[in-house]
Parts: sequence; C-alpha cells; structure tokens
Amino acid sequence: MVDLATPVAAGTGRSRAATGSPGAHAARRRRLFWPFVLPALVLYVVFLVLPTVATVVLSFSSWAGAGDTPDFNGLQQYRRMFASPSFQYSFVNTLIYVLVGGIGTFVLAFLFTMVLRDLRGNRMIRAILFFPNIVAPVALGMFLGFVFKFQPSGQGLANVLLEAVGIGPVKFLQAEHVTWVVMGALIWAGAGFYITILMAAVDRIPPDLYEDAELAGASPWQKFRHVTLPLTWDVVGVAGVLWTIGAIKIFELVFVLAGPGTYSPPIRSWTLGIYVFDRSFGTVGAPEYGAACACAVVMIVLVSVLVLALRRLMRREAIRY
Amino acid sequence: MSGRPAVAIASLVSLLAAGCGSGGTGSENALPGTEEYLSSPCPEVAVKPSGTEFTYWSMWTKDEPQGKVLQHAFDCFKEKAGVTVNVQWLGRKLLTQNVAPALNTDNVPDLIDQDISQIKAAVVEPGGTQGLDDVLSMKVGEGDRTVADVIPAAYYDIPQNKDKDGKIFVVPYEVLSNAWWYDKDQVTNFTPPKTFDELFAAFDRSKQAGRAAIAHDGDINFYNAYYFTQLATRYVGPGGLVKAAEDRTGELWRTEPGLLKSAQIVERIAKGGYLIDGWDAAKFPQIQQRWADGEADFLFVGSWGPSETREYLTKQGSDKKINYGSFQFPMPEGATYDIVEQLPIGFAVTAKADHAEPAKAFIAYFLNKELLRGIPTVADNITPRPDLDVPDDLKDVKAALDDPQKAHNLFMDGLDGLFGGTYVDNVFYPADNDLLSGKITAQEFVDRMATGTAEYWRVHG
Repeated sequence: MVDLATPVAAGTGRSRAATGSPGAHAARRRRLFWPFVLPALVLYVVFLVLPTVATVVLSFSSWAGAGDTPDFNGLQQYRRMFASPSFQYSFVNTLIYVLVGGIGTFVLAFLFTMVLRDLRGNRMIRAILFFPNIVAPVALGMFLGFVFKFQPSGQGLANVLLEAVGIGPVKFLQAEHVTWVVMGALIWAGAGFYITILMAAVDRIPPDLYEDAELAGASPWQKFRHVTLPLTWDVVGVAGVLWTIGAIKIFELVFVLAGPGTYSPPIRSWTLGIYVFDRSFGTVGAPEYGAACACAVVMIVLVSVLVLALRRLMRREAIRY
Repeated sequence: MSGRPAVAIASLVSLLAAGCGSGGTGSENALPGTEEYLSSPCPEVAVKPSGTEFTYWSMWTKDEPQGKVLQHAFDCFKEKAGVTVNVQWLGRKLLTQNVAPALNTDNVPDLIDQDISQIKAAVVEPGGTQGLDDVLSMKVGEGDRTVADVIPAAYYDIPQNKDKDGKIFVVPYEVLSNAWWYDKDQVTNFTPPKTFDELFAAFDRSKQAGRAAIAHDGDINFYNAYYFTQLATRYVGPGGLVKAAEDRTGELWRTEPGLLKSAQIVERIAKGGYLIDGWDAAKFPQIQQRWADGEADFLFVGSWGPSETREYLTKQGSDKKINYGSFQFPMPEGATYDIVEQLPIGFAVTAKADHAEPAKAFIAYFLNKELLRGIPTVADNITPRPDLDVPDDLKDVKAALDDPQKAHNLFMDGLDGLFGGTYVDNVFYPADNDLLSGKITAQEFVDRMATGTAEYWRVHG
C-alpha cells in the first residue's frame, strides 16, 4: 500500500504523464490505486472497523440479540460493570496475567537466551521449548487438569513428584490457587515462543562481539546485559507488545482449568475474556450483548494504553551493527 | 474468537455434565428395550394437522438415546399424519447459540426444546415463544385422553413456566430431579433418614468405616448451591429464595430465620469434615467418579447421577455394579415445605413459527404412551407421566415426584436464571462457595448475602 501511495503523495506525475516515461508510469499507477486498494479497504471496513464501531455503540445499550431491539441506556452498562465483583476480579486477574505473567515469561526467555547461544544442540532445544505452542490451549488445560489432580487414592503427576521429594500434595486446582497454576502454565507454554523470537534476534548479532566480550572476561550476565539486550532491544519491544495483546484476551486455559469446562468458573478466577464470553453465551439466560460490548471496549482501551505505555518505555535509539 | 474452542468443549462436555442425564450415548450402552422400542408399531394420531411439515431444533444430538426416541416419533408422525419434521440436532447450547440469534431473522425453527429455566431466560424473556395452553386440551391418541389428562399439572402449571400473558410456554416430556445417592451394597443396614440427626449419624458411620461421607464435585457452582437451596426452600417455600434475592434492601436474608438455619446445616456439613478430601480441588466429574469407585458413601446430584456413574464404570472396564439407592433431604427442624426439586424439559413453539399447528400436534402426539415410553426405556430417564415404567435406579426419585404431599419446586428455586445469572455469579455463588468450604460461618453467610443483595440492587436499580 505504501508503494502504491507514494506517487500520489509525491504528486509528481501529473504534468509529465502526457510525455510518457516515468510520469506515464506514475499516472497508470495512480489509476490503479483505488481498484487495488478498494477491495481490501471494503473488507477491512466491513469486517473490522464496523464491528468495532458497533461494539462501542452497543456498549451503551441493553440488548439480548434475540429478536429484541437494543435499548439505549447511556452509561448504565459501564456503571454496572465497574461495580460488579465479577468485572473487578476479571480486570485485576487480567492485569496480573499481563504483568506477572509477562515478567515471568521474559525472565525465563532471557535466561534461556543467556545460556542457549553457547549450548551445543541449541536448535534442538529451541524446537523442544516451542512444542507447548503447537498444542491448543483447551487441550492443554484439560491435560493439566489431570496433571494437577489432587486425589489421595491416586494423585496427578505434579503431586506424585511433590510427594516423591517429600513435600506433601497440594490442592493446585482450589479456587484460591488456580490463577497461579494457570500463570505457571502460561509461562511454561509461552516462554518457548518468545525464546524463539529472541533467539532469532540473537542469531543476527555478529559473533565477534561475543568473542570480544569473552576475551575481556565478561560473565554470561555481562554479555547479556551489555551485548545481547542492547542489540535485541527493538525485538524485545515487539515481543512485549505481542505478549500484552495475547495476555489480555486469555480465555481458554482459565475457562477449562478453573471451572468444569461446561459452565463459567467461579468469578474470582475470571479474566476479561471470560467476562465477555459469559455475558454473551455463558449464562442460562438471554445474552447480554450490551454488557459484553462494554467489557470488550474496556479490553480495547486496555490494550491501547498498555501497548502505548510499553512502546514509550522501550523507546531507545536504535543501535546499528 | 478465542471463545470458539471452549464452546466446542462446552457442548461436548455438556453431553455428560449436569445439563441432563442422557444415559449412554453409544450403542454399546443401549438398554435392552431399545431395539424393541425403535421397531415398535406407531400409534395413531388423534390430532391430524393440515400442515405437512415443521422445523425442529433439538437440544439433543442424533445419536443420543433421546435423539433416537424422537427420530422414531418423527418417523411415526410422517407415517400416520403425513408431516415431515426437518430436524437440526444442535445439542444443549442451542438456545443461546442458535435460537436466540435466529430470532433476529425470519428464519426461525417452529419447535425447540430445553429445560423450563433455560427456555424462559433465553427465549421467553425477549418474547420469542407463544402460549401452549391450547396443547393441553389436545388428544394424545389414547381415546379421549388429553395432554392435561396424562401430564399432572405440577410439571407445567408453575409460575416459572408462564410467559408475560400468564400462558404456559413449555409442555414437558422429560423431568430431571435430584437426590442423595448411595450404593446399597456399600452402605448396608441403612434406611433413608427422617431427620437431620439421622442423616448426620449416617455420615458419621461412613467416617467411622474409614470412608468419606459425601462426594461432591466442587468446581460447579450450582452443585455447591444445592445443599443450601434445598434446605432453604423447605423453610421459605417455592419462590421464597427468589423473593429474598429480589429484596432491594437485602434485609430479608437477615430477618427470615429459615435462611440462617439452612446455612447452619451447610456449615455443619462443611466443618464436620464430611466432604471427601479434595472435593474443592478437582475437576468435574472426578469426584463423582471417586464415589462410583466407592471412596465415599453419599453423593447429592441430579437424576442423571446413575447414568453418568454407570457409564464411567463401563468405560473403565470395571466389573463393579452399583446397586443404586436414593433418598430426598429430610425435613429440617421447623421447616414446613416438603420440597422435591424438578427441572422439566419440554417443547416450546416459537412466536414467529410458520408451522405452529403441526408442531403443536406433534407435541400432543409425542406424549402418547407408546412413544413417550422411549424416554425411560431407551434414554433411562423419567417422564412426567405417572403411568409409565420408571428405570429401576430412579424409582425412589419418581416416587418422590409423584408424592402428593410434596411440593414441586424448580431447581435452586430458579435463582440461577434470574437477571441473566448476574445475581448468582456476583452475590450468591461466592458466598455459598465460602460457606460450603467452611471459610465463613452461617451468620457471616447471611450477613454477606444481605449486604451483597443490597449492593447488587444499589447498582442494578
């Protein structure tokens, strides 16, 4: 799109169009601008922009979406939402996943980038670390339900291991603990993805920089701090944005691990994604699309704010090498 | 978008879960009478409609026992009345995922089915159904007997089955109920308790025998709610809990002594160590499977309990056969309403239906004894008709339902369907979960309910 737009923006072709040569070329390109852009633009507007606008509009209404017409009632959905414990839990939990989960994932990813470069067979290790990503989160959640089983007559794998090292069994899936179990699962499943991205950036760093650091007697931490991190900073920023967007819409793993998988789990484990689902399809009653839309708007705002904040935080002069 | 896989899982799991007891879904679990029923001759129709087709969106899947029973009835209806039924087998989530969105269009099904609570909340509230009082006077094909003659009013003439105009919107063909379950071969010398002291004495005996007293899947909110709501409605009567939930000041929770007394019994269950270790840290249906394995003596769930646990044992390849016994909660001291909980499942006709007439004629036809007996015979479930066979495991439950001394009340007094589920999610379930897990006392529970209810109404106006 940028390439197509350039001649128009430059506005150079108009007078030279008649004389042939580059001007004629530019004019032809200009004529082709809308025919090429329009289909994409129409699809984008119809399937992304309009639904987003509709979401915002409907968030000011009460609508069951079952033959009734939306009843516009101003800020009522927002007032009710902010006052409801289910939303408060959802909001706080989502933030916990974004921040604590993000820190956990990146610390783990950085640790691996520190050691992986020097390890033999590091490509194989990277592939293995990536494996959890190819499993659907729902399947992962159901599987972990067995791993974290608490049953004195036949414990799940996690408790068998804990008992083997002399620590008693833990009730992992209790409502109070389940957020942290999900957090662990997320970090475990997500770290491989970010390790892959970060290692791709690390691979681009000229090896002589590391050799130089080694000759100077740098420790792995110093190499990471003074070589790896500054030279992968822009990639870390993008990875951070990806994590934030992914974490704000966390849904399946929590839904399946914290509840029976059939009905919404107890509200203390909810995330914003679960709140939206519950208000749309999770109740026994008519959907409350107005309430779901209000929460979706909060999610959009939250993503925007966090991503902007992150980009601001990560803004550095790019280092060229 | 991220909801999709979970929805698939949800509908998949819901076949097994509490939505309904469906019995075995595959032919390997088919009951002995299945073949005989499916090849039995079709009864004559009493009401011959002028229409020749209608559309039915089903809460069942095609291979489920209920799906097979209904398909047999459709074949018969085609043969005897010349009406073709266009079926879509959609599963339990059809109301919110299929029917409600379709109501925005003119392409609606004529006939739908689900339990009364769900149809009311998802379709009746936005005005999507029509009254079915006229079906009550239709003949079912057994001489002059009408629908009202064969189905006792207690199953349909209830406040929760009335639309805005006071008309009924569901005609039931299957009924779910609930009970305490035990294995007669494991809990021997046992007679169903008449008082709570007897019930707790039985629990204590289980503990002395080295087993847990109660198995309970604690990750399903409304399973956790059963104890309190069963007891509370015995004090406050049908509709009493809804009244407490609707009290704008919340004070009813404090001033109605029966609510505190009910909570005290739940507190006694919680603090007495009767619940099986790990009940609050498991995923459904792990705990009811532990009951089936004999780790605990008693299990309180719906009438789907036997079919689900039997299916588990079959799939495990276990030789164990449970000799199912069941009983209702005894009357707590000072309570005056002898309650048996029910959840009728039945047909509703949409308001926009193009073929309401043949759809209604089919409702009456399906209630014919020869067709409806497929529900107990093939699907191992209870029907609202008192004159049909009852699966052995469910005889006690059915006897409780047919007992004229007992008042029928909807599961949980219908609390879960109120206000789009927001009241139970935000106020009732969190407090009730804490009560059952012994984190709060009965007094703290009613206090929390009072302030929580008042706060809920402050926000919801």
